[in-house]
Amino acid sequence: MKASLTFHKLMVGLLVIYLLIPLVGTLLFSIAGKWDHTILPESYTMKWYIELFQDERFYDAFRRTLFLIVMSVGLSVVIMLPTIFIITVYFSKWEGFLQAAAMLPYGIPPIVGAVGLIKVYSDGPIQIAGTPWILIGAYFITILPFMYQGIRNSLRTVNAVQLVDAAELLGATKFQAFRTVVFPNIISGILVSTLLSVALLFSEFAFANLLVGGRFETIQIYLADKLNSSGHLTSAIVITYYSMILLLTGTVLKLSFRKEKNPVVSNKNRILSLFKKQYRHKNTALEGEK
Amino acid sequence: MSYVTIDQVTKGYENQVVLNNISITLKKGEFATLLGQSGCGKSTLLRSIAGLEGVDAGRILIDGIDITNLSPRQREVGMVFQSYALFPNMSVFDNIAYGLKMKKVKNIKSRVKKIIEMVDLIGKEESYPHQLSGGQQQRVALARALVMEPKVLLLDEPLSALDAKIRKSLQKELKRIQKELDITTIFVTHDQEEAMTMSDRIFVMNNGQVVQSGSPSEVYTSPVNTFVAKFIGNYNVYDMEVFRKIVRNRELKGTEVAIRPEVLQLVSVGEDSLDLQENWGIKGFIKDVSMTGNVLRYEVETEESAFHVDYLHHRGKMFEQGALVHILVPKKECIIL
Repeated sequence: MKASLTFHKLMVGLLVIYLLIPLVGTLLFSIAGKWDHTILPESYTMKWYIELFQDERFYDAFRRTLFLIVMSVGLSVVIMLPTIFIITVYFSKWEGFLQAAAMLPYGIPPIVGAVGLIKVYSDGPIQIAGTPWILIGAYFITILPFMYQGIRNSLRTVNAVQLVDAAELLGATKFQAFRTVVFPNIISGILVSTLLSVALLFSEFAFANLLVGGRFETIQIYLADKLNSSGHLTSAIVITYYSMILLLTGTVLKLSFRKEKNPVVSNKNRILSLFKKQYRHKNTALEGEK
Repeated sequence: MSYVTIDQVTKGYENQVVLNNISITLKKGEFATLLGQSGCGKSTLLRSIAGLEGVDAGRILIDGIDITNLSPRQREVGMVFQSYALFPNMSVFDNIAYGLKMKKVKNIKSRVKKIIEMVDLIGKEESYPHQLSGGQQQRVALARALVMEPKVLLLDEPLSALDAKIRKSLQKELKRIQKELDITTIFVTHDQEEAMTMSDRIFVMNNGQVVQSGSPSEVYTSPVNTFVAKFIGNYNVYDMEVFRKIVRNRELKGTEVAIRPEVLQLVSVGEDSLDLQENWGIKGFIKDVSMTGNVLRYEVETEESAFHVDYLHHRGKMFEQGALVHILVPKKECIIL
């Protein structure tokens, strides 16, 4: 038993090292002065960060990326949440169609999708090729699988159909049932989907480069551009936006913990349980009736 | 005058008929049970009464009002689900008060408090569903339905997820509360023992139809067909042709015969006291003995067939496996189907 536990710890430790090494390497490279023939840098400097933070282009790229992400993810939540709820609860026979549609992005390589989108939207009634709007549309589709799976799984986990039935029998309208019963119970799932989507879109390059390129420089395009000038600077960019994602994720999670009405169930555990696909509605205490 | 009327209700999914022309009437305050195997349509009928499923034909009336086309929230029925369907984001108090808040009722606090006392959940008001045991969750679900003072209470296998001891205790409590409030109740279960214990009237369902209805005693002692005999009472059921050979009587009419296992008697071969005026005597041997706690179940093999015989489990009074016996079959207890 003990040996098996040690083995598990060892495996997890190795995995963590494997995952962290590139990140630690990037961090070290971003603060390295001279680093040629040694394992660790010979000298350290912050000049790459100073150079980065003095560059207006970086801030502009970051702002544009945030704008794209907020618009795409926000639009996705506003459109997909009611759609998935209505189909799951009231039109379950159409669920297969929605699932197939949500999986489509996996079947279309970004380059094919981008070329198609440019062709369709470069003339005709909606001429948005080359503008950020086409990128928002493409991002909406890109994150569709995450949003769909996350929201649908949350709805199933809380048994939304039965909760709505129960609420309606108690006098709630369909909208009241959704607002007061379903939504508060799936918010963790929505949050997880949103965070996954944000993380994915932050590192998205193919669509950004092909659809808008330098006309609407995002952080990834800025990064690609800087790759040619200095590896140290590129590392500083990567570490900066990685830290920002971490900060953003942490803030969102922290805010949602504070909003948690139920003092006993930690939202953190709920989010983790969503990942583990565990049903948390279990009998945990006070077993045994009189 | 009937309080609940289900009049020729029919429902189907695609090509399958789930409810086939069902008609049921209930008096006010009656505790009725829909009893049947999985897939017989009992839960669909309950959900149709609640308005959670539509019906293809027929009418449903409660207290003289046709509710067939009303939405669930307009029907004034309460329902307790098998999986409780408590709202995980709300405390016990908020769960129970939910319906009252939706209907903007006054005196919410006092009404909730009263019902919490009734279902014996004092002290659990601020607990969340996941902090309660299965039995406690079920009480919350019951309280949540009862606080609305529904015209009809619908219970969809509410006790099936609980262990035997808690189930028995909740059966009694449910019955007590139902009598106390004099609330018309429709209970769905596949457990015939539970149906017998709780009901004023049982409706046995099979293939979307009510095949028999009556008091628990009527349904148990006078099954109308083989399905009911086998489902509700573990009857010995024989084809009449076979039974004529077993009892060596050519004059018996009917197509099948059903005999309850507890009316049969076993007498060791060699004993003289066989009453063959009132009984048929059949020779056989004990093939198997099994025990279900208070009942001993013998499987007796005869020349033509096999019988199940149930005996109360008395200490020391037991037939051994392989023993030669006479089965005494009381003639008046043979139910011709």
